[in-house]
Amino acid sequence: MRKAGIITLSLLCIILCYFTYITAQKAFQSDWELPAASTQKEERYRLVLITQELETPFWDKVGAGAKEQAQRDGASLEVWGSYGKNQEDFLKKLEIAIQSKVDGIIVQGLDTQKFKDLTKIKAAFYGIPIITVANDVPKAESLRKTYVGSDQYLAGEMLAQLMLSDMGPKGNVVLLSDSQKEYYQEQRLKGMREVFSDYPNVKTVYAETADTREQVIATTQDLLNQYPDTNGFIAVNANIAGAMIQEIGRRGQVQLYHIYSFDDGSESISLLKSGKIDGMIEQSPEMMGRKSVNLLIKWLSNEKVPLDADGYLSDVRILKAKD
Amino acid sequence: MNRIQKKIWMLAAVVLVIMAVIWITLTYYNQKTQSQYNDILQRYLRMNEVTSASQHVVTDLNNYLLEPSEVNLDKLDHSKANIRRAKDDVQQLKNTENEFALTNYMNLIDSLIETTDRSLMFYSESDTEASNREFTEATRISKYISEMTLTLIDTELKTYDRFYRGIIDQSAELKKLGIWLMLLITFLLLMITYWFSLSITRPVQQLTRAANELSAGKFDKEIKVDSNDEISFLAQTFNRMRININNLFQEIQQKAQLEHELQESKLLLKESQLRNLQSQINPHFLFNTLNTLSKKAYLEGSEETSDLLVNVAGLLRYNLKWLDRSVTLRDEVMVIQQYMNIQKARFTDRLTLNMEIDESCLDVQIPGLTLQPIIENAVIYAVEPREDGGVIWIRIKDSDERVMVEVEDDGPGIPEHKIQPILAGEVVHTDGASTGIGFTNVVKRLRLFYGVEDVMEIHSRMGYGTKIIMKIPKTKGVEQHVKANDRG
Repeated sequence: MRKAGIITLSLLCIILCYFTYITAQKAFQSDWELPAASTQKEERYRLVLITQELETPFWDKVGAGAKEQAQRDGASLEVWGSYGKNQEDFLKKLEIAIQSKVDGIIVQGLDTQKFKDLTKIKAAFYGIPIITVANDVPKAESLRKTYVGSDQYLAGEMLAQLMLSDMGPKGNVVLLSDSQKEYYQEQRLKGMREVFSDYPNVKTVYAETADTREQVIATTQDLLNQYPDTNGFIAVNANIAGAMIQEIGRRGQVQLYHIYSFDDGSESISLLKSGKIDGMIEQSPEMMGRKSVNLLIKWLSNEKVPLDADGYLSDVRILKAKD
Repeated sequence: MNRIQKKIWMLAAVVLVIMAVIWITLTYYNQKTQSQYNDILQRYLRMNEVTSASQHVVTDLNNYLLEPSEVNLDKLDHSKANIRRAKDDVQQLKNTENEFALTNYMNLIDSLIETTDRSLMFYSESDTEASNREFTEATRISKYISEMTLTLIDTELKTYDRFYRGIIDQSAELKKLGIWLMLLITFLLLMITYWFSLSITRPVQQLTRAANELSAGKFDKEIKVDSNDEISFLAQTFNRMRININNLFQEIQQKAQLEHELQESKLLLKESQLRNLQSQINPHFLFNTLNTLSKKAYLEGSEETSDLLVNVAGLLRYNLKWLDRSVTLRDEVMVIQQYMNIQKARFTDRLTLNMEIDESCLDVQIPGLTLQPIIENAVIYAVEPREDGGVIWIRIKDSDERVMVEVEDDGPGIPEHKIQPILAGEVVHTDGASTGIGFTNVVKRLRLFYGVEDVMEIHSRMGYGTKIIMKIPKTKGVEQHVKANDRG
């Protein structure tokens, strides 16, 4: 009886001690460490990558490549930008970046006056190097250090040749571009026209559209009405391909047309996979990111001055739908 | 000493220490949490300060551009100083997570100040257009700063989210800890108090029990208290007292016994004397008469009768004379011879007496008239009732420390059930044939005289005879007894 009592009491004591200890441990142990105070006294390069199209597959890859390279080179990099080609927001981000006196800016080129003003005057005033990536703006207009991205002229040529090989040296082709007339689109068009000019039997129709979805649909409708015997379409701006194909699909069979585009649109990959696009030009976004950061750091650390103003070109490949 | 006091102090100290430890821990923890809260609040306040300071700069710049007075310039300088201070404060908030954003933030502040300065410079150069352009830019930068403050605070919230949740969880855990701690301490204190009170009250209870037993008269039980404080000291003292009382008590008892025995022996003696006196009809008359008779028988030529009468007279004299004092065995043997002479004259051939006496044993002290009653018994039971007479043997032998006196007859024997009462000293009703001083009287007197219980053996077989052995110590027992008492 007495022994049992003692055992019970000791057990009770042990249990109480145990729970008290456990809760005390939880209550006094602070496993949530505050972020360490910045220990890095040596200045790391602060780089910003600014794009107009955040969270699209193409630009995500550019960002990933850039971050990877930045980490490797010991620079800190942030990806800023606007969503869905919001130019106002994009330019504001660019201005903030300049006013924040970052060490270098990698930016998706925008062929507008305001962009050029910012890069030419503001950035130059603060002495911030700018590299355009993916989409170029000529050096004379933007004072960019260099361009990293595809050779858009070559890409245009390749796409035109792909189309010819699919369609044959005869037919009507619609080249649909947006009304922004951006530099990179002009380059693509130039490449395509160069190729098509050798084939007199291929007639090209050039059309422009505003880049809202409704406008694209309306323009496509017009084109289909005006040129009912069209054999193929090329969406020079990849972002309008989705709306365009949707309209074509409403009017007839998409498969009957030869449709080509580029990979830097938000819908490009899924359109290719579903077979609505017959082929497209695939660029190397990760490489662009990596290369641009690499070059910028080289420039900053005076390893490579000046940079090649003509730009550093990345690979372009043809991607065909598997049908 | 002072053990109980020490124990009480110890209990109080333990409780005090536990309470102090808990208080210190909780206070320390509270302080820590408080300072953490303050740090967090400080962060937000500092960031917010930047926003308002930047707005002040822009407002003051605007005021100055509209109304370029000394006062407004002072104000502007003041707000610029303010924003610089705010910037320095913000600098300290830098950590690995917000390093990039915060550097941008501080550079923005720098840009704002620079732009403001530029605007002032253009203004002083009367380049109003440029000045206005810079002012617009300053306004824009100020707006960016406000926006960035919000973004930073947002990031801050995300970064510290885990931390805030941790604090909330911890405070919940602390509440739980409070409950557990209270349970544990309550339990421990109950245990300690129980043990502590037991360590005081148990010895007291033991002592109480011992006192009760003592008061009930049980002096032989040892008082034992398992404790190491004053109570134990008390118990030891108490125990010593008990032992002393016990010794005293035993001494008194022994003395009382001794007195009682003395009383008894006196009573027995009185009884013997009384019996004797009863059987003495004016002893002097009888004595003189017997002497006259003896002379007369002698003169008449009956020498045998004369001798017999002399024997009777001797016996009578011995009886009167030695009854209340000790004699030697030799005297006793002489009396027995006289007695047997008389009995021989009575029974003639029917009585055969064999005596084997070791002369060296005859100096032993013995109470008077102890042998005679036994022999008288033998004669009465073994010789008197039988036509063809009987034989009586008397042997006195040396046996180391004792002298053995054996009286044997070939009579009918004593029944077994009577032997024990005789030896035990109980009164046995005889058929009244004895001369007076009974067998039991002899046994008692021997025992009293020597102070030894084992003084007599009776061996008897029905139809074959009885053998009575008196074992008489060579040293007198009373002396031994007295010596023993002196030692005690």
